[in-house]
Formats: sequence, C-alpha cells, structure tokens
Amino acid sequence: MDITTGIVLAAGEGTRLRPLTFNRPKTMLPAAGRPILEHVLDVLVDCGIERLCLVVGYQHERVQEHFGPSYRDVPITYVHQKKQLGSGHALQQAAPETDGPVLVLNGDRVLDEGIVADVLEGFDGTPAMAVLDHPTPTKYGVVEVDDGTLSKLVEKPESDSFGQINAGVYAFGESVFDAIERTPRRSGELHLPDVIGTLMDDGEVRAVSTDGLWVDATYPWDLLYLTRELLANGRVQFPERSHNVWVADSARVHPDATLQGPVVVGPDAEIAASAVVGPDVAVGRNATIGGNVTLQNTLLDSDCRVGPGSTLVDCVAGQSVSIGPGTVVPGGPSDVRVGDRVFENQGLGAVLADRVSVGGGATFTPGTLVGADATIGTGAHVSGWIRDGAEVVR
Amino acid sequence: MCGIIGCVGCGDGTLDTLMHGLSKLEYRGYDSAGVALVDDRSVSVVKKSGELDALREELAGTDVGGRVGIGHTRWSTHGPPTDGNAHPHRDCTGGVAVVHNGIIENYQSLRDELAESGHEFRSDTDTEVVPHLIEASLESGADPEAAFREAIARLEGSYAIACVVAGTDSVFVARNDSPLVLGIAEGATYLASDVPAFREFTDKVVYLEDGEYARLDTDGWRVSDVDGQTVEKSIETVSWDPEDTGKSGYDHFMLKEIHEQPRALRQCLQGRVDELRGTVTLEELGELSLERVHLVAAGTSYHAAIYGAQLLQAKGVPAQPFLSHEYATSPPPAEDAIVIGVSQSGETADTLAATREARRRGAETLALTNTVGSTMARECDHVSYIRSGPEIGVAATKTFAGQQTALNLLTEAATEGGADRDVIAAIRNVPGQVQEVLDNSTAEAVAEAYLDSDAYFFIGRSLNFPVALEGALKMKEISYKHAEGFAAGELKHGPLALVTSQTPVFATVVGDGELARKTVGNVKEVEARDAPVVAITDGQSDVARYADHVLEIPETHPRTAAILTNVQLQLVAYHTAAKLGRSIDKPRNLAKSVTVE
Repeated sequence: MDITTGIVLAAGEGTRLRPLTFNRPKTMLPAAGRPILEHVLDVLVDCGIERLCLVVGYQHERVQEHFGPSYRDVPITYVHQKKQLGSGHALQQAAPETDGPVLVLNGDRVLDEGIVADVLEGFDGTPAMAVLDHPTPTKYGVVEVDDGTLSKLVEKPESDSFGQINAGVYAFGESVFDAIERTPRRSGELHLPDVIGTLMDDGEVRAVSTDGLWVDATYPWDLLYLTRELLANGRVQFPERSHNVWVADSARVHPDATLQGPVVVGPDAEIAASAVVGPDVAVGRNATIGGNVTLQNTLLDSDCRVGPGSTLVDCVAGQSVSIGPGTVVPGGPSDVRVGDRVFENQGLGAVLADRVSVGGGATFTPGTLVGADATIGTGAHVSGWIRDGAEVVR
Repeated sequence: MCGIIGCVGCGDGTLDTLMHGLSKLEYRGYDSAGVALVDDRSVSVVKKSGELDALREELAGTDVGGRVGIGHTRWSTHGPPTDGNAHPHRDCTGGVAVVHNGIIENYQSLRDELAESGHEFRSDTDTEVVPHLIEASLESGADPEAAFREAIARLEGSYAIACVVAGTDSVFVARNDSPLVLGIAEGATYLASDVPAFREFTDKVVYLEDGEYARLDTDGWRVSDVDGQTVEKSIETVSWDPEDTGKSGYDHFMLKEIHEQPRALRQCLQGRVDELRGTVTLEELGELSLERVHLVAAGTSYHAAIYGAQLLQAKGVPAQPFLSHEYATSPPPAEDAIVIGVSQSGETADTLAATREARRRGAETLALTNTVGSTMARECDHVSYIRSGPEIGVAATKTFAGQQTALNLLTEAATEGGADRDVIAAIRNVPGQVQEVLDNSTAEAVAEAYLDSDAYFFIGRSLNFPVALEGALKMKEISYKHAEGFAAGELKHGPLALVTSQTPVFATVVGDGELARKTVGNVKEVEARDAPVVAITDGQSDVARYADHVLEIPETHPRTAAILTNVQLQLVAYHTAAKLGRSIDKPRNLAKSVTVE
C-alpha cells in the first residue's frame, strides 16, 4: 500500500535543550549547518513522500518561515497544535489534512533513509513501526517483538534488559485517528505510544526491524555529537572543497585561514586570515570569524561573531552570539549542572544561547551554560549556569 | 490597474487555467473580475463585481467552456465597480471580447464617433470602445487580426489589451505603457500582466515591449511590430517558485512577508558585502559613481527614497527625493543628475513617467526594483535589484526593508571615499537583528491597548523621519484608521493641535545623542497633552521614563536602526488591522502595483 503523505511532529519546544530553545523549537536547532528538521524532510523527500504535513506549535513562525509552502518541490501544509499535549494529540491535529495512509515521525531526530524506506515497504495496511537495536535503550521506549509483531512497548524502562527500541517512525492507515479518539489521556496528555497500545488491543502492530543512522540531541551538548555524526556521514549540502571540508559558495574564507576537516562553513560566512577552524566545526550562515581565531569541536549558529584571537573548544553558540577578542573557552571534560541534576564528565566547553554578548578577554570554565540575551563583561570569568538576560560583570 | 490573463492550447482546462491565473493576479486589483471563452462559433462572457469568489459562484451556475480564453481582474479607474463595468467587454454582436489594463485617453471622442454610427454601449468604461472598433473593422471586411490592429491604431493612452473573436482560436494582444508577458509551454501559450499568473505551468517567458503586438494560436505564437513585421524575441527563464505565492501557515501574506524579512535581507546582501576587506560591490553597476542624485518614487518607495537621499547626503552627495508623479509633471533641472527610480514592481506608472521624463531631458537613470525584467529595469540605463522575492500583500513590508538595505549598499558602493567599516558590520548584522525584533516584539499588546484611538501619530528625526511616514502609511493602508507621520521637529509647528488623550504618539528614539534628546523633548510635549506615548527605542536614552509602552530594538548603527524601528511599526499596523478584522492582504481601494497614472 503506497503512502504519499508524511506527517512530521515538530510542535514541541524540547525543554531539555534550554537555553537554546529560547526562540525556536528543538527541530530548528542546527545540525551540521542546517536545522535538524531539514535533515528529516530530506529523508522523507528522498523516500518519495509527495505531501508533507508539519505539525507546529512552539515558536511555529520559525518553522514556517524557514520552509515556506514547499520543500524541494514537495508541498507543505502546516497544522497548528496550540497546546503541546503530547505526540498523539499532535498527530490528531493533522487528521483533517490527511486522506489515506500516513507516515508519521518526529521532526527532532536525524535518521537514515533506510529506516523510513523499510517502514514504507513493510506497510500493508496493518499499523507498522520501526524498531532498532540501541546501545542505551533506557533513554527511549523499549519494545518486545514476536515474529515481526509488536508484543510489548515499555516507555522509560527501568533496566537495560531489552535490546530494541521504538525508532519513532510509524505507518498508519486512517484508522489511527479513530484509535486516538479511543485512547485515554494521561494527566491531560495523549502520547503516541499509548495510541500504539490501543492499536495493539485492536489487533496487530507490525514491528519493522531496521538499522542505520539514528541520532538525536537530548541536551545542548548533544548537538556537538549530532554534528560530528552528520559530518562523519557527509550529510552536508554545500560543495566539498577538499576532503571533509564543505564550504558554501557565498562564504568568504581568507587564503591564509586553515580549515581542518571535518568542517562545514555556511553561506555568507567570513573567515579571516590565520584562523584555524576544525576539526568537527560547523560555522553558520553569515558568521564572522576574526583573525587568529581557533575553533575545535564547536558549533556556531547563524550571525555569530568571534573576535580576533579567541579560542573556542567544545562550544555551542546559538544565533547572533557576539564574542569579543581574546575570549577563551578551553573545553574538556566537565560536570554540567542543569537544574538539580549534574551530568558528569561531559565534553562541553560552554553553551551560549541566542544573542549572548561576550566582551573581550572573557574565560569560561568547562560546562558553563549561558542563557539567551545574557551579557558577559570584558575580562569576566564565567562558570555554572547564567540565566537568560543576566549581566555578568566579572 | 488590473490583471490580465489569457491562454491558448489548454483544452478543457481553459477555464480552470484562467481562474487560477486570476487568483494569482488578485493583488493587482479586485473590485470585479470576468472571463471570456471562445467555443467554436460563439464567445461566452461571465463577469461579476466583488472579489474573485463572486465570479466563482456566478460560474458555478453555468456550463461555460471553450478552448481559448481571456480573463481580467479589475480595479476601477473609469466607472464604479459594477457587473456591467467589469471586463471582458463586448461589441454589439457579442462576437468580440476584450480585456484591458490602462487608460484610453481619447475614449470619449471614439465613443461619440461609434455611438453616432449606431454602436450601443453598455458600460461606463473606456475599454468598451475597443470591441466596437474591432466590430466596425470586421464589418468592413477585415480579418480578425487586421481588425484588431486597426482598432489599436486608433487608441491613445496606455494599454495592455487582449482580445478574442468568435470563430477564431486565437488571442490577439497589444501593449503600450502597461506590462504584458507571454508564457511559453509545450502545446500551450499564456499571456498575463505578471508572471505568477501562469508560473505554475511554465517558467519560459517573453516580455512584450511598448508598441508590440502578439498573436497566440493553437500552433504557436508570433510577436510583431506596428507594421506587422515579425519581431524576434528571446525566451527568458524566470526563477521564482510558484509555491512562493502560498501563505505557508500564516494568516496573511503580510505577516508571512514581515517574517520573511531576515531571509529577504540576506538575499539582498549575498555576495555584495565583504566585511573582512571592508568593501561593498554591486556588480551590476560596474564603476558607476554617484555625484548628484534625484530619487523618484511613490508611496512606500518614496519613504525609502527619502531615507536613501539622507544616506547619500551624509556622504556629501547632493541627493533629493521626489514624488514621482510630481517629478513627471513639474521636473526640476536634472541634466547632470543620476535619476534613481525606486519601485518594487518596476511597473509603477507614475515612477516610469518620472524616469522617462528624466531620460528625455538627458539624465542618466537607474532602476532600484524587486522585479527582474520589469519595464523600469529594461528602460533605465542601470538597474540594481533588491532581491526580496515576490511580495503578495498589498502593504509593502519586506520590500521596504529591502529598499533600505539596497540603498545602504548603493551608498557604500557608489560614492567617493569607499565603504565605512562600521556600516558594513552593521549591515551584516541586520538580518539577525530583524529576527531578534520579530522574536521579542510586544507590538501585539500595543495594538490591543490603542485599538479604539481616534488617530495615530508617528514622529521621528533624521533617518527615522521616513520611518515615521512609513509607519503611518502602513497603519492607514490596512487598519483604515487615521494616521499621520511627522518629522518630530515639525510637531509644534501645527500638528500638536491634533494631539489629545485619544491619539497615541509613536516616537522613534535611537541612541542618546542630540537627535534623541530633541525627540525626547517632543515626547514630553505630547505627554503634557495627555497623549499616550509608545517609544520605539534601543534603550540608550531615557525615553522609556516618559513612555506608556516601549517597543525595543537592539543597539546598532543609526543607519540600520531605522530598518529595525520600521519592523516594530509594521507589526503594530498588522496587529491593529488584524484585531479590527480588516482585509489585510487586500485593503479596500488599494492595489499592489499602481500601473496607471
């Protein structure tokens, strides 16, 4: 049975990625030079989906503005989920826009075409979902499969005893919308795994065993990992200037700057003489990298400015972050504190959310998180968690 | 000022093709619409006043069909918007149907002459003389093409005309001072006032020039000159995506276009600015150097022209903005000036008249426009594009920001002394800063707070003076509320008499220098008259202390601050109009590109 409509769930903020989600949903955060959601839509278009339906909610203008009415000549309709009441509720919003069977997946996870292709191929009218082996299944929903049929689905399992996880890629007939109606809400929310439970009670849910690239970002520092994975897989849209060095045509790189792959440089970016960029660096659109800057394992989103002589290692910067000359983010393993939790031994130099302004000569203790619109004074030494809009003098 | 569509070779899809084209042309005018289809021996016409849906309803009750057709959306110039005045117009026999965009200046004398020889007129329009002229020639034995040519030869004025004749599977067209473009596809040929009308079917286009005729047949097309000689035309490829005309989840095109501004400005800057070298290059202008400049424009573009003149003056270049309709009729000495026509569409009749007058007087001309292949782009000595992408909302938003940005580039690229590094950095920061304004704006709450006001006043100094004018124009255009923009210093020379507790004053205050201090002084003046004050500010001055509401912009160079303050005012106008339930994308009495004088 042919599926031509792809429904992408892109309404959630992704609160665990705060402070980077201050102005946009997780799906629009950067991965190797472009939004995560763009990678997802690429997969759908490559798999022959002819109609895209994006369920949007949190800061939806960002999604609509980026993609407009079509992506790679495939028309897009937008459906608004006004309150984010779970993935099942999100899918329910798309009901009026669909006609026939649908492919459903999350917009915040980059995955291999093969996974989607396997699900499309394995769909014969019976609900189907992708399952795959994962080294740390406890972070995800774990499944038990009996001869190609889903026999058990456990959200947030206690132990790592199960091997396969729910890959979050589903194929449904129109009956799914009826199943959604019949699925009880839990504290007002309605999640897709519960809808799967209803479908299992109704009859069979096919488990399509698959494999391939399947990466997402849960916490801000995961964006560095995501970008490394995508660069290692060559998932970059710009021309490859030399091995593993991708530079957009409109970028300006001084001949005396050094790009050490894997590196991606976005459109209109400028990189001055004697800068050393890479490995594992993504420089966003219209970013400006001053002379003698060193960047390693770093992600700079669009419109960032890095002043001359700065060194950034293991650093994630959101949009329009401005970093004065001689700033140092030394990077390295660190314990990152998010609220009450401490994540030990993460490779994170600093996270600077959108429009953070850093005066010259500032230094950052590894694991620092700086909230959106914060101002870091010249020569300040920063550590820990700085809230949105705060001003750090020293 | 209207929209024309026509097609040959679309078979049973002819009516659908025409209706699709009209929907894409609605922005040009929409007080009535109609279609004419040729079916073997007869021509059927269906037309209706009101928006396109009214025509759709009218058509639903008919079985009109045909293999060749023309259509029209009208915006009234002669005669009120009634069913009778809607196009197409027919002759006495009903066998000739004509759609027309423009103004026929000698229509009264032609009409008198035709009426005398027994022709009966059914409308108040100038257009109706054309089918009757054709009828007269057909009666005297001319074939349809010859009859069409004889009729056109009698006309004085501006026109884009398309005509169908019963018994002929052809569409005849002629152009003078009004845009017309052919779309060329396999087996089908289209014609329209503008490319989006048929862009979904083909990206191959042929632009007609003034004085040219074309005949579209089932087996092809031919362009000829006034003597009937074939003109070799080049087929060009347009790059705009037809889907660009969709609203992509926004309630209105205007809101979509406001949000598209960061992208539009990136496109404008792409490849033109090199910050590390400190250079700005506009390749299309070569080595052009501006020494004395007149900027001619109307409406929103005129506000951009004021801004552009201020930028050039600051570089020591004598530059003056003019309203193009005034310039065309009362031109100043211009022989040694470069005359810059600023027009989004490049088809604004008033501005074309001004650049033509300038050329006639020996001045060099430059078109600053958004529309590749537009009449102004083709007529002027130089052209530079603002690259904003198609704009559908009648109220200009992203193209104003694009004009401001392009005028910054022009000033840096084409004046003595080279580019200013601070300005270059500021220009490159603009797309991200516009995004910041869009992310954080509280304009909706401001709109809500002042929804019931009697009038809205906008004040600003220097580079924010044109922003005040533009802020007021946006408010007028889409909210239908009374709004005026003033240079802040002018306030106490008269307008202050209008200020009451029911007239919010929007004051743009940037920086903390003398200009800011003086505008803050004006703010205190209006506050003393109990007027609510909305300050649009970067927070450097103390204006917030005197304001009831503050709309913030990031700190930046004064030149680019005027782009950001305007975005806040766009949002105020939009939200005011939205809360009042106005027809935002198609405000009453207005059309997108004003192609009549």
